[in-house]
Amino acid sequence: MKEQFNARMLRVHFGENDRWQGKPLHEAILARCLELGIAEAVVFRGIEGYGSASRIRHASHWPRGKDAPIQMSIIDTEEQIAKLIPYLDAMVEEGLVAASAVEVIRYSNPATSPK
Amino acid sequence: MLQPGKAVKVTIYLSDGATHHGVPLYSSILDFLFYRGVAGATVTKGIAGFGADHHMHAANLVEISDRLPIKIEFIESREKVDAILGKLEELAGSGLIEMQETTVAKPAQASKPKTQPPAAAHLKIEGKAQMMRIFVNEEDRWKAKPLYEALVEAMRANDIAGVTVYRGILGYGAHRRVHKDQPLLHPHHASVMLSAIDTADKLRAFLPLVDQMVQEGLVVFSDVDIIKYAYRALETDKPADKPPAE
Repeated sequence: MKEQFNARMLRVHFGENDRWQGKPLHEAILARCLELGIAEAVVFRGIEGYGSASRIRHASHWPRGKDAPIQMSIIDTEEQIAKLIPYLDAMVEEGLVAASAVEVIRYSNPATSPK
Repeated sequence: MLQPGKAVKVTIYLSDGATHHGVPLYSSILDFLFYRGVAGATVTKGIAGFGADHHMHAANLVEISDRLPIKIEFIESREKVDAILGKLEELAGSGLIEMQETTVAKPAQASKPKTQPPAAAHLKIEGKAQMMRIFVNEEDRWKAKPLYEALVEAMRANDIAGVTVYRGILGYGAHRRVHKDQPLLHPHHASVMLSAIDTADKLRAFLPLVDQMVQEGLVVFSDVDIIKYAYRALETDKPADKPPAE
């Protein structure tokens, strides 16, 4: 099945060591997206970067030293994204959220999709 | 769509053992023809033959030969053939390419109507452009290869300016079955994102191929401004295992 609609894309930037209630922040945000029924959410790990805290983050081979930059791409309609924003405000203590207007084509297989 | 009337029949002769980036050369060429929207192509395997190297290659009951001649044939309009011939010559390496004028009496009918991506040559781009992000599953496959890889090859065959594939460490989406009771954090079901940039026209022209290749996934378009686009013109994808020309 193919649907086409206007949507909004968020890119949320923070660090891999950031936590929310003891859980890695990216897992917590992803779980929240799933709860809200957000269409698409993917977490990417960068190899190097710096951000709002002005310190350079590296993805390191040593588990103790790693604080790789994380970028989450979250896509859904304007209304759905609006529902998520208050949660992001609360959860992301140090980071950046960028939004852009996008046009989306969604391919889904009715036989295997949940909705 | 092929029209009745004048057309060109192209025949490419290869030897079976030839490979391109680790896959049989004929399958690379077939993929290229498919991505470029050629009306149809057929690969036949010879049972004996010899080529420029004057070695006789034959199939024998007791010996399995992997150097048998392979022939790829397709019929297309003159314009289309001219548009893809350069890349085809590069792909065919030491093989022979032959063309002859022919007349299409009746074109084959597609089982369902579809649009063809136009074969536009690549131009320098700057200013207004679009970014197309495609979200699919890492294990999604197209024919025998990973879907993301096939999409990159298809974009390359259609001269899309550039594409990068990112592997997500976590995620879900249209391409994924989400059940409440299923653990969502499964490391072996990574999402991948392809991020391609080109003019809106080029990307839209590529969409019919995406329609065919992506079963489940999300395609996201956003407007971008290209500030700088520089590339080394000589850095083409010469077949790595192409034998030296003689």
